[in-house]
Amino acid sequence: MEWLAGDREPVRKGQPVCLIETSKSAIEIESPGDGTLCHLARAGEDVDLGSRIAVVATTDAELTEVDGLRESAAAKPTPGEQGKATRKAIELAEEHGIDLATITKAGFITAEDVEALVAGQQAGTDAGRLPGPAVLGGVSVERVSLPESLTLDETAGALDPKFLTSLRTDPDAFRALPASERCDLYRRHGAQIGEDVQLGERTLIVSPRIVLGDGVEIGDDGTVQCDEVFCAGALTNFRARLRLRCRRAFIGAGGYFGEDVHIGGGGAGDPQALLVIGDLAFVGAEAFINPCRPIVVGREVFVTMRSVLVTHNVGHSLLEGFENRFAPIVLEDRCQVGIGVVVYAGCRIGADSIVGSNSYVVSDIPPGKLAIGVPARVAGSSVRTLSPARRLELAEGMMAELHELLVLRGHDVDAIADRPSEGIAVTFDGRTSHVLFRERLDGAFAPPESDGETIVLTFELEGDPPDGCGVLELVSRRFHGPGGVVLDSVREFCRKRGIRFEPGPWRYRGGLI
Amino acid sequence: MTVATEQRCASALNEGLIDLFEQRDDVYLLGEDILDPYGGAFKITKGLSTRWPERVLTTPVSEPALFGVAAGMALRGYRPILEIMFGDFIALGFDQIVNGIAKFHDMFDGNVRVPLVVRAPMGGGRGYGPTHSQSLEKLLLGVPGITVVAANECQDLAALLREAVADDDPVFLIENKLMYGRPNRRPVEGRIGELECRETDSRYPALLFSGNGFADATATIVTYGGMLPVALDAAVALILEDEIFTEVVALGQLLPLDLEPVLESLARTGAVVTLEEGTLTAGVGAEIAARVQGEAWDDLKAPVRRVAAADSAIPAAGALEASMLPGVQDVVDAVRSIRRPRG
Repeated sequence: MEWLAGDREPVRKGQPVCLIETSKSAIEIESPGDGTLCHLARAGEDVDLGSRIAVVATTDAELTEVDGLRESAAAKPTPGEQGKATRKAIELAEEHGIDLATITKAGFITAEDVEALVAGQQAGTDAGRLPGPAVLGGVSVERVSLPESLTLDETAGALDPKFLTSLRTDPDAFRALPASERCDLYRRHGAQIGEDVQLGERTLIVSPRIVLGDGVEIGDDGTVQCDEVFCAGALTNFRARLRLRCRRAFIGAGGYFGEDVHIGGGGAGDPQALLVIGDLAFVGAEAFINPCRPIVVGREVFVTMRSVLVTHNVGHSLLEGFENRFAPIVLEDRCQVGIGVVVYAGCRIGADSIVGSNSYVVSDIPPGKLAIGVPARVAGSSVRTLSPARRLELAEGMMAELHELLVLRGHDVDAIADRPSEGIAVTFDGRTSHVLFRERLDGAFAPPESDGETIVLTFELEGDPPDGCGVLELVSRRFHGPGGVVLDSVREFCRKRGIRFEPGPWRYRGGLI
Repeated sequence: MTVATEQRCASALNEGLIDLFEQRDDVYLLGEDILDPYGGAFKITKGLSTRWPERVLTTPVSEPALFGVAAGMALRGYRPILEIMFGDFIALGFDQIVNGIAKFHDMFDGNVRVPLVVRAPMGGGRGYGPTHSQSLEKLLLGVPGITVVAANECQDLAALLREAVADDDPVFLIENKLMYGRPNRRPVEGRIGELECRETDSRYPALLFSGNGFADATATIVTYGGMLPVALDAAVALILEDEIFTEVVALGQLLPLDLEPVLESLARTGAVVTLEEGTLTAGVGAEIAARVQGEAWDDLKAPVRRVAAADSAIPAAGALEASMLPGVQDVVDAVRSIRRPRG
């Protein structure tokens, strides 16, 4: 329909006021009398048969009445203004008591938007526990578990300035000292260094603050130069020929750095240079990490061999239109970066996501995705929900694999039941130990007669662990002592299959496998 | 006076014609019942005969004669625009098209051109029955030497007319009856509603739509003309109901087929669903399927699916017509049924 006379325009009886188009014809509608035309439908609108499209008002009272009609019409949402949020988003918002109107964005509101808001609110309530954005230069730590060392007070491990100057002016004299003596010297001059820390033959750490947990190992030829602080959590292992240079480096506990890892690059002394790596992270051989902007890596992240994390590009002039980017990189908890992957400045890889080998990441990868390619694109989901039957099948497979491995290692092994998945007996140092698998472990469990260790792998432990047994809870990933060589070996076997137990960190000192 | 509002497509086309008549004096309009006060069956030519009576020629009801006269005018250097009252009647002019208009340029060794524009409203949904509701553009796709362009409600319709008239070779502009009454929804800041919209820079542009900023999606719905709102409604329904994101490509040029935007989108989605209002067999979707598997096999992760009208005559009864023509649910079902045997 189309209006031929305007809203609130005086009209006379018989005057054409609008054009109604029906199939194959257009009809002019004439005013039924003199008065003021008031539109009740918009031009171009489809109107229902028999509905009122206008009023010709003759008195002020009638005009007021029309205003009322219009207001009630306006109160009804028009089809174009509703239904922007997806069904999943609406359900999720209801579940978490979120008002969708608080999400302002162009386009559709999806479940992901609501989840982000929920996560943001949860992060807000956890704020007291987080180190706060001051340390991290405003980088969001959503879904990133940070190492404990970030919460240390700012004087922890501060070196005596004179000693620091001597390290800087004559590093070779310091390097010439025996390794154990170097550790003692650091301690005496203010560094916080735990027990059993081993510094390789030519290791030199130059930093105003040094905090190393128990059992940190830095391999031969390692050099660490941090302009402000260097912290490494207990049992972290830096292999031979590490080069680490940054302004501030906070490495978590139980981390593993392969050989020839290079951390640094031209911008390593930049005021914003920062490296934060969570507990139990893995950095593979020959990886290159360039932290001239914050690089924040979560817990149990795998950065595998020859990966490259770069926080800036090699720029031509900004003023000639070239991109000249400096931006942080965040790898959220438990994500995996495959062999030879390059992660470009400004990218964030979501928790539990996997980036396939040789991919080039130029944009954010959401959590829980498998991404691959140059440039990396999401190709599917990285996490699967296993049925109980499938999970059982996999666990039984692990038991069979453990059996086979121990045989290959030359140990005396026997299956102790008809079903080999139920358990095995292994003889070591003249004593027989048992490794058992039970879907559920409760008070009804009777340990076998044994002169060695008894170890039980289980999905679910009900109540306290049975006396004298080592228990590995495979789902909640809890570990219960007492320890022994066989238990350590089984724990290591699980670790190599991605099952790391708490409490940790923990290091395998050798045993059956 | 009229009240300012979103312009309807019929009025956008009408204004486009008025602009052309004002700008060029070689443009003529020929067709049946196009004179004022009637102004054509769909009012696209309204007002033109009053202002330019010598250049708006109403003709007897004989499409062969109509095509012949227009072809002759074009050969002599005029820029005639032919309105075919219902696209179905193109069939009556087929000899002129196939054995004349499409071939004169080649038959006369490149010495003549036929700058003719044929405007034809296609499509059903209005209960006009078997001979006034068809979408016969697929018949034209088998005629080398002509250009076939499909208008849709999100395009710059005046620009489409302007380009077609400026074209030195014959152009068939496929319009749609339901489109005429709908608002001409142009992108505002790269968006139409909740969807992002990109326009290619070709002569007869294609439009690409995405609900997730052209990130990876499940499928590309390829369509044109009057089926665009059906495709967009389906894309929105899939997002709101299932969070399944698709891209919609609305082709501008069907012949020669402008496949580039389809290939570009397919690289992000890995699957193609074609949607057309014409009957299924040997339709536009068949051509797209063949071309896509030949040119982008590596990108194609699933078989191409076609959504089209059933291979039958179009009933006049509303319910029967609706069940025969493709609708939103058909597209939604086709996208949901995509399986990716090739990962």
